[in-house]
This record gives sequence, C-alpha cells and structure tokens, in this order.
Amino acid sequence: MEFTDSPDQAALREVVRDFLGRHVTPERVRAAAAEPGGYDAALWMRLSGELGLTALPVPEALGGAGAGFAEVAVVLEETGRVLAPVPYLSGAVAATLLACGEPDAARQFLPGLADGTAKAALALDGEVTLEDGTVSGTARNVADGAAADVLLVRAVDTLVAVRAADADVEAVGTLDQTRPRANVTFRASPAITVAVPADLAQDLLRTALAVEAVGAADHCLAATVAYLKERVQFGRPIGQFQALKHRCADLAVEVESARATARAAVWTAVHDPGSLAVVGPLAKRHCADVFMHVTAEMIQLHGGIGFTWEHEAHLYFKRAKSTQLTAGTPAQLRRLVGERAGLI
Amino acid sequence: MGGQDNDAAGDAAFRDEIRSWLAANLTGEFAALVGKGGPGREHEFVPERIAWERRLGEGRWIGIGWPQQDGGRELSWQQQVIFHEEYARAGAPARVGHIGEQLLGPTLLMCGTPQQRARFLPGILTGTELWCQGYSEPEAGSDLAAVKTRAVLREGQWHIHGQKVWTSLAQFSDWCFVLARTDPGEQRHRGLSYLLVPMDQPGVDVRPIVQLTGTSEFNEVFFDDARAAEADVVGAPGDGWRVAMSTLAVERGVSTFGQQQGFAREFEAVLAQARANGGIADPDLAARLVDAWIGLRVLRYTAQATLGVPAGTTPGTEANIVKLLWAPWHQRLGELAVDVLGAAGTEVGPDYDLSDAQRLFLYTRSDTIYGGSNEIQRNVIAERLLGLPRG
Repeated sequence: MEFTDSPDQAALREVVRDFLGRHVTPERVRAAAAEPGGYDAALWMRLSGELGLTALPVPEALGGAGAGFAEVAVVLEETGRVLAPVPYLSGAVAATLLACGEPDAARQFLPGLADGTAKAALALDGEVTLEDGTVSGTARNVADGAAADVLLVRAVDTLVAVRAADADVEAVGTLDQTRPRANVTFRASPAITVAVPADLAQDLLRTALAVEAVGAADHCLAATVAYLKERVQFGRPIGQFQALKHRCADLAVEVESARATARAAVWTAVHDPGSLAVVGPLAKRHCADVFMHVTAEMIQLHGGIGFTWEHEAHLYFKRAKSTQLTAGTPAQLRRLVGERAGLI
Repeated sequence: MGGQDNDAAGDAAFRDEIRSWLAANLTGEFAALVGKGGPGREHEFVPERIAWERRLGEGRWIGIGWPQQDGGRELSWQQQVIFHEEYARAGAPARVGHIGEQLLGPTLLMCGTPQQRARFLPGILTGTELWCQGYSEPEAGSDLAAVKTRAVLREGQWHIHGQKVWTSLAQFSDWCFVLARTDPGEQRHRGLSYLLVPMDQPGVDVRPIVQLTGTSEFNEVFFDDARAAEADVVGAPGDGWRVAMSTLAVERGVSTFGQQQGFAREFEAVLAQARANGGIADPDLAARLVDAWIGLRVLRYTAQATLGVPAGTTPGTEANIVKLLWAPWHQRLGELAVDVLGAAGTEVGPDYDLSDAQRLFLYTRSDTIYGGSNEIQRNVIAERLLGLPRG
C-alpha cells in the first residue's frame, strides 16, 4: 500500500495547490453559489482548459490525459482544501466510472468531460427504475445536478447515463452553500448502459468524498493553529494555553489518521477494487467524522469571530455536515462496513 | 490484517523465512509459551521466556535492524515490520529482551564507545543479558528531568543512591541503564549521566509493585551505594539527558505492527464472545464492535503511513501520533470486552484470577500513562508538529 505521492503526483499537487491558493478565496466561494448552476464558470474553464485537470481520468484515445484515480485524488485533496466552487468531484468520479464501463457510453461522454465542455453529476441514491432502455423515478439532493450535462444514475444495481436534457432538474436550497444540489426527476428518460456495478460507483464516490474531506480538514486545522498563534488574550498568544493546545493535538492526530485512511482507500480503488466495498465506506465514515469534528473545533477555538457569516469557518462546517450526511450517514456506513466485513 | 498480500518479492521470501523458523522453533519446550506474557501477563513464564530469548538470539532474530558490523542483519524497515507481524501472528511469547534490544542497543549504537558496543551488544543479541530501564522516579514521572537519583565518582567507581520506579522486568534483569544526577551543582536537564549498572550487587534492592490487576509487572528499584564501573557511562558525564533523548528521536515504532496483530487477536476474542453469548444482538454493542474494527483499520493505515517514512525527514512526532491513536483504542476495547460479558463480567476466580476480558479492561488503563502519558504526547504534538508556543 502506497501512502506518499510519486514524484509526478507531488508535482501535480504543487501546481494545483498553488493555482487554487491564488485564485480561490472564501469570497469567490460564496459568490459562486449565486451563479447559474451554482459554480464558478471562469474557474472551471481554467481548471479544465489551462491545467487539464478534467482530462486526468480520461483515456488518451478519448481526449484525456490517461492518468487515473490516484491523480484525481491528488486534485480532490486540493479542491477540498479551498472548497473550490466547481463540480470537479462529480465530474472526475463520473469520468473514472465511464472509463471502465461500456465503450459506447465512454465514447459518447468522455471527450466532453475531458475538455470540460461537459459536466457530470452522480444520482446514486434515488428511487429509479429501468425499463425498456429508459429510467423513471426521482433522485433528490444530487450534488452538482443543476450544472450537469450528463447524469450517472443508479438503476437498481447497475449504472446508466442519462442526458440532463432528458430529465427534469430543479435546483434546491442547500444548508451547505459550497456544493449546489438539485432534485432530478426522470420520466421514461432514455438511458445509456454504463454497466458498472452501482455499489462500486457509490464506493468510489465515498472514497472521493473522503479524500476531499481530508484536504478541507487539513486546512481548517492549519487555519486554527495559525489563529491561536496570533490571537493574544491575557497578555499572551492563546496557543500557549494547554487546554487549547491539547485540543489541537487531538485534531492533528485525527487529521493524520484521516489522511492515511483516505489514501488507503484510493490505493484500494486503484489496485484492489474488490476490497473497496469495505474500505470505501470505512474511509468516508472516518474522514467525514474527522472533518466534522475539526470544523466544530475551528469555530470554538476562533471564539466569536468563528460564529460570524463573514468568517470562512461556517463554510467548512456546513460542507462537513453535507459530506457526513450524503452517500450514507455515519450510522448507515457503520452498519454497511459491519455487514460487508462479516462482523454483524 | 496482515500486509502479506503487498510484499515485494524479497520481502515475501523473508516472511516465509521467519514463518518457517517460528514454526520449527515454537515447539517442544517452547510450545507452551504461545500467547504468554502479553499485556497484563508480563509476570508469566519468565524463566521459559528467558530461554526463548536465547533461542531467538541463536536464530539471529534479535537486533535485526542493527548494522552488520555490530552483529545485526541490517534489514530494511519493511522487513523489520514483517518480523514483528509474523512474530505476533504466530503467538510467540512477549519478549523479555526488548528493553535491551529496543532502548539500550540503539543508544549504544548512537552514543556508545566501540568498547561499550563490543562489551554490551553481544549480550543483547544472544539474549544472555537482560536489561531494565531506570528512568522514572517517585517525583520524576512525566517530568523526567526532575530525577533525584545521584551518583558520585570515587576511586574509579560510580556510587549510586536513589530510587527508580515502574521498572519492568527489574527482578529478572542483569543490568539497568540509569539516569542519575552526577553534577549536584546543575539543575534539570544538565548534570545528568547515563550509567550502566549491574543489578546483582548488594546495593540494589528490587521490590515488586502490586498493580490494580493484582499482578506485578513493574517494580521499585532502590540504589543504596550501588556501584557502576567508571567506564560504564554512555556519552560524557553530565550529558545523560541528550543520550536518553537520542534514542527516542530514532524510535520508529516498528514494534507497533506486531502489537497490532495482538490487538486483532484480542478483538477477535471479544467478537467471538459477543457471538457466543448473544451480545452482538444488542445494537449498542454491535455498533461498538464495528467501531472497534474500523478503529483498528484506521490505526493500521496511520501507522503504515506515518512510521514508514525515513527518520529525519519529518518533525519526528509520528510515534506520538500513533500512540495517541492506539492507547485510547485499546482502552475502549477493554471496556467493550467486559461490557460484552454483562453481569458475568464482574465475577472473578479464586485469588482474584481474572479472565482475559477483565485483564484487558484493567491493564489498558496503563496504556495511556506509560511511555509518556497522553497529556505529554499532546504537548509534544502541539509544540513540535503544530509549532504552538510553550506555556
């Protein structure tokens, strides 16, 4: 099992982190929520066109870079760090799945996903039925649904692709304003076979969410530690107080454990996908819980300023909760891991 | 839980080698030692385990990471992990020579003179000389620099007075490495020396401490004009603090992988009990069992990710992070073990004979205290990894 970046991955991480650090601010994240589709179109064009990040999971023959999910995960940790307001996670997971599914579906959708002219969303939790090559039913709270051109839909236990134009997509208000969601209704919408097990798709999505949560949690801890070093009360930086230091130390342990777990899940997805049924939900459960805890502590350790709309802490706090409650709640994932590992 | 699926070719062959050696040697007189001497049972089968230590030495399984010129095998970090995993998987008994192998040996390799290495390393490598650690004192626990044991050099010998405490295996050890104040004019970290003291002498008195388990793994050691040879000081006199800390700086926690195999066995026993008595049907117990299993996976991933990097390339807080994960995890497993038993978990045998679950429940309270309490670990992480200011 590999936990550290290869030289190429390290270089990719540096480029992406540097770029996002310069171009994504909390103000821009907030502003994107009001844009059509709920994302930052200019940022998306640069990430796909200039940096070529959307091409990573797409085979070269279909206009991609022929990299893989390990490289996608490098990007996800960095987009998570700044809450980049683009539908990268949905698109990259969808492209990864399409790349290992039916060639027809891959040829139809991957070139557009590779160059960023098309965007994808994942509707894996709906009540959707498949009949005569069409799907019917509703999927609620589909992340990045309003921006999507193509939807990968769970139809019982398999995965199909549906053009957004063939479905009713309705944006919904979200507690977490950093990730837009939509309710999608299918009425005999034409479905294109992808033929990837829907459970595998869900576990890959969970892995992606885990990785993204690690980047975000890492930022929240770093920002909190930086604040404790500069905030002075009682004539000293409050980071000197052991009550606060110990809480940060506990968070550091949690974040390290989450990073290791997320990377184990990425390795599993790439090298041992049969084991992702356990490791995917395990990683999402652990990393989302850590993310939630870190953001709650971020607010507390910042004191009053952390409770304001102006401060970035609530953006992360709300993203943590939406990460925790989608693609399986903590309790659901615990049960799933217990059953799949043969414990209960 | 094992990593054998991912071994490189050379590592796989090495795994086979240690597996076959253990299978061939953990037989006959040693067969009865399988599973013995673990946490809460360090007092069990000690003479037999001393004999086993020598067998390990004959197989050259001690000091496997040490340089070849010092009698080691110079094995890679990954192969050392494999050794510990296979050792634990085979249920081989808890070591009695680990203090010499993992603490004194590396200290001598870093700070000892050629004469000291030649004199003391072979005894560790052959399992013929056992060591205990003389650091903690009644008034120097977490605050180790407060040690009061003093030593004076007179007529070519160190004369030692004072008391050490929480000394594992002192009653079976041949030697003790002692942190003592040799310069009474100095304070705190200065003026301490790292002395090598023979245990078999009139000035050394060992008294077992009865723990809350009712058993004794730890001792008090009293020095009343105990003697050490003038040459048996590691590093310069007065430089003992640096010598003691240098070992901690290179400790890569390789044995934690063997420890995790032990944790996995303990978890399996708790799970088996919950299945046998129907406890698993209780949703709360079932949830805690799954959480324990997940926690063990997370612990393993974290240990692999953090300890596997070369020393000197990181802030050096990896072992602290792993300790803060495993110690509370182990405590929770101990609590779960007796909760699974229900009311039956309150009954003990004659002479306070404890079940494995009860032993786990009680002994694991020490996990968050020894080797640096959780609070000390948090200080280290806050200051060294996060750079928060000292109070």
